[in-house]
Amino acid sequence: MSDHNLTHNHEEHEHHEDNFFSKYVFSMDHKMIARQFLITGIIMGTIGMLMSLIFRLQLAYPDMKFPFLEGILGHWGKDGKLDPNFYLALITIHGTIMVFYVLTAGLSGTFSNLLIPLQVGARDMASPFMNMLSYWFFFVSSVVLLVSLFVDGGPASAGWTVYPPLSALPKAIPGSGTGMTLWLVAMVLFIASALLGGINYIATVLNMRTKGMKMTRLPLTIWAFLVTAVLGLLSFPVLLGGSLLLIFDRSFGTSFYLSEIVAEFAGGIERTGGSPILFQHLFWFLGHPEVYIILLPALGITSEVIATNSRKPIFGYRAMIGSILAIGILSFIVWGHHMFITGMNPFLGSVFMLGTLIIAVPSAVKTFNYLATLWKGNLHLTPAMMFAIGLVSFFISGGLTGIYLGNAALDINLHDTYFVVAHFHLVMGSAAIFGMLSGIYHWYPKLFGRMMNETAGHVHFWLTIISAYCVFFPMHFMGLAGVPRRYYANTAYDQFNVFVDMNEFITIAAILGGVAQFIFLANFFISIYKGKRAPQNPWNSNTLEWTAPVEHLHGNWPGEIPHVYRWAYDYSKPGAEEDFIPQNIPDAGQTDPMQEAEGLPEPSKKSVQEPVMA
Amino acid sequence: MKILNLLSKFTLVVALAFTFHLNLKAQTTEEGKALYNANCTACHAINDKVVGPALKDVHKRREEAWLIKWIKNSQALIKSGDAQAVQLYKENNEAMMTSFENLSDIEVKSIIAYIKAESEAPAAAATAAVAPTSGGNMEAANTDWNSAINWLLFIITIILVLIIATVSKILGRIGDIQGKPIINWNKTNSILLMAFLVIGLGAATWEFWAHSKHTVFSSGPASEHGGEYDSMFMVTLILTGIVFVITQVLLFWYGFKYKADGKRKALYYPDNHKIELLWTVIPAIVLTVLVIRGLMTWNAMMYNKSEKSRNIEIYAYQFGWNARYAGVDNKLGAHNFREQGKMNALGVDTNDVNAYDDVITNELHLEVNQPVDLAFRAKDVIHSALLPHFRVQMNVVPGLPTRFGFTPTVTTAEMRTKLKKPEFDYILLCNKICGGAHYRMKMKVVVDTKEDYQKWMKSQKVLVNKTTANAAAVALK
Repeated sequence: MSDHNLTHNHEEHEHHEDNFFSKYVFSMDHKMIARQFLITGIIMGTIGMLMSLIFRLQLAYPDMKFPFLEGILGHWGKDGKLDPNFYLALITIHGTIMVFYVLTAGLSGTFSNLLIPLQVGARDMASPFMNMLSYWFFFVSSVVLLVSLFVDGGPASAGWTVYPPLSALPKAIPGSGTGMTLWLVAMVLFIASALLGGINYIATVLNMRTKGMKMTRLPLTIWAFLVTAVLGLLSFPVLLGGSLLLIFDRSFGTSFYLSEIVAEFAGGIERTGGSPILFQHLFWFLGHPEVYIILLPALGITSEVIATNSRKPIFGYRAMIGSILAIGILSFIVWGHHMFITGMNPFLGSVFMLGTLIIAVPSAVKTFNYLATLWKGNLHLTPAMMFAIGLVSFFISGGLTGIYLGNAALDINLHDTYFVVAHFHLVMGSAAIFGMLSGIYHWYPKLFGRMMNETAGHVHFWLTIISAYCVFFPMHFMGLAGVPRRYYANTAYDQFNVFVDMNEFITIAAILGGVAQFIFLANFFISIYKGKRAPQNPWNSNTLEWTAPVEHLHGNWPGEIPHVYRWAYDYSKPGAEEDFIPQNIPDAGQTDPMQEAEGLPEPSKKSVQEPVMA
Repeated sequence: MKILNLLSKFTLVVALAFTFHLNLKAQTTEEGKALYNANCTACHAINDKVVGPALKDVHKRREEAWLIKWIKNSQALIKSGDAQAVQLYKENNEAMMTSFENLSDIEVKSIIAYIKAESEAPAAAATAAVAPTSGGNMEAANTDWNSAINWLLFIITIILVLIIATVSKILGRIGDIQGKPIINWNKTNSILLMAFLVIGLGAATWEFWAHSKHTVFSSGPASEHGGEYDSMFMVTLILTGIVFVITQVLLFWYGFKYKADGKRKALYYPDNHKIELLWTVIPAIVLTVLVIRGLMTWNAMMYNKSEKSRNIEIYAYQFGWNARYAGVDNKLGAHNFREQGKMNALGVDTNDVNAYDDVITNELHLEVNQPVDLAFRAKDVIHSALLPHFRVQMNVVPGLPTRFGFTPTVTTAEMRTKLKKPEFDYILLCNKICGGAHYRMKMKVVVDTKEDYQKWMKSQKVLVNKTTANAAAVALK
């Protein structure tokens, strides 16, 4: 640890004046980059959500005409009827945006960037320049994806999993033309962004911790971000390879993924010898760790928020680290559960099934530990805390249905039905979004130096959790009746007619949820300018970011970086004056930060700043 | 008198002829309807554009002879340079229409007759419905969203958001002035958490009661392995159900019970290795049981190829299905993907002896209690054959043979009685996104008794008829 160097760096920063571009646009400051990721993520999320409302309208009212669709979508909504091909485009882009742009970049990008340097006690990321590149690759990638909405033939329409041959052959579907090429370009840029960010996160956590910040004193957020970054670093390159081969198949006449396709259907070149299943293996080798890339940061945030607002140490800190690591490792050997019925060797199916159900054990441990943390706590039900509780609820509801789908035998009849839609929207969609919202409410004072409106936050929470359950819970039953996902309408099937009312109900609930998000958006953007000024440590939290001043400055701390003497969870320690002891407070008589603080701080030295009641 | 007699006779003849004619017409439209539903609905609808254009009034737009040529082999017609054909091809994103060489001229004509009847029927109904109203706006109001209401809703939404924002702001201000918040959110939230738990569990229970009967599990399995599948499902449902209720109740109960009241301090309780070990080991044991049970079910389903199995090939294309029966020899003839749509629609090699007695159909008929071995083949992109009532699903991948063997145990007739739905039919539907008409890509599945099955099979055409087959055999010698 070269404190000297860092201090020197920091002094350099102070001497140089920021202009508009270097402060707001090409910023290399991790806090500004976090804001950029967050706002881009929120904009993409709003677009993704509005898309889902359009296709929900179609599913609820397949026979109705909505003249305004023609206004928004042009020839894709001719006479107020959504075009079936554009329906597929909408679900594809909705999935892509939500999975990659909101819940990967928006979530990990925001909170890894904001919290890693602040919570480990570093002046900035290991490479601020790479960090800036990471954001700008992400930004360009988002623009390319949005541009693809306007090209001839429409954007990619083969589902967010873009299985070839559907995605490989422009003749297979209109969306497999220019739109698909742009999707792949966007994905390559996105992966570059994720890798640049990931290397940075890992390097910062491993090398730039302040004195006394042992790995076993890291807040669980940092553990989650670290494992997430490792997962991304190991799995995203595989998707990059997969995408490049798909570009070859599309543009240069190769047959990596194509077999027994006649020349007329494949751009004049007969394709044989490849395997469409190969792409699925490459895709899901990223795709499954990706689920945990999305979920782990949300769980990390929840751990921190629940501990802080329960005024209790997180229960089983080491078991939590263990389960994060176990989930991380196991996530690499379960991808085949997305492919049980592709005709792969049944023995291979058994292996993947075993791995998948084992992963339920660390997940269960995490859930029980959250419950034990709440038990006999002193709960401050702030909006952040409410969203964290919501996450645990969704994690249970959605996680349990994973036991059905991870079971190869049961998957046979449930695969690709609405049961799957319900499952992953609860466990990965709603849970991760709740984790992200929880993080936003909790660290908003750190991000923007102001408080969000609490009442609006609570209204937002209640409307969102009610609508999310109303939307996704009934879908289980549709799935059990065999209703397939990605259907433009169910009108062609007599036995699905019984779900007409349910579809309308779901759509109305979805619209309610959409409206609730506008309350959030208003709260978020208005509070940037008009929110109450934030105190330094609004939630009486232990972690290091709250020892930094509210006003952002390059290098995070005006003086020396605080040293760390204890773990992050000394809440309500018996005998202590306050119900929290920040990590930078030594025990009475403790001088060496590496020594474990097991006693209590000296009463006179209790805390650096005046605690403010929330 | 003579004249009268003659007249009556003449009337009789005319009447007879007319009835006969009507009857004939009814029969062709009826036959056309069946053929239309089996072959055309994947890509076409009468009034709406799906993948192909809307078929309404197609008999007015094109000549019958042209239509027959087009339907039987559209690619050949396009290649021949026919102006209409080329234009149509370009108008529809250069999507190729499947060739239907297996349809005879008479069958195509009956389909056209059905389309003609359908084109005229709804128009008449619509005129009748609109006629009594003065404005004729009724229909529009029924199917369109009145745009004024749209805007109103939109405005109300915005106003609602603004009101909530303002009220929150005012409450915050008043709270600041008074020194304590107006709404004690800690208390409010804890009560709401409890209410949410009770109402939520109530609603979930209601849902089980109200919607379970719509699932395929309520009617019981229609296949041999389905029984084991369903019992595996029930075991999982019960176990996860118990965990679901316990954990959700604890979560919301703790949220209610341990809210901060300003008097208490939280319990400092960082870990307890015994408890942690307990709740690692118990889930592990439960999951082991589920894994073992699941593996047994999975292996039973995957390795159940029986010697007696009847071989059937399921062929998928954008956007439809065909079944190919192996015939008396129970051997499917060879196929070549390059010959698809050329020699015959499925590219089956008619020179292969095994292919002679193959039968290609648009419906899947199965004999009850007779094991079948389905082999899957796709023409263009990945499809997935889902037969929910039989607990059967397998992907259909171009260039990669897949199979699934099972035994149907409940005939269509029995299932109709059981469900009290006389119009019920089993289905095979596409469950892997495959293009614009993915949502219409289905095939009717019929489970027959042995007699019915044999009767149906006899009425089907074999791929190579006996005379040709014999000639080929002679030539080979």
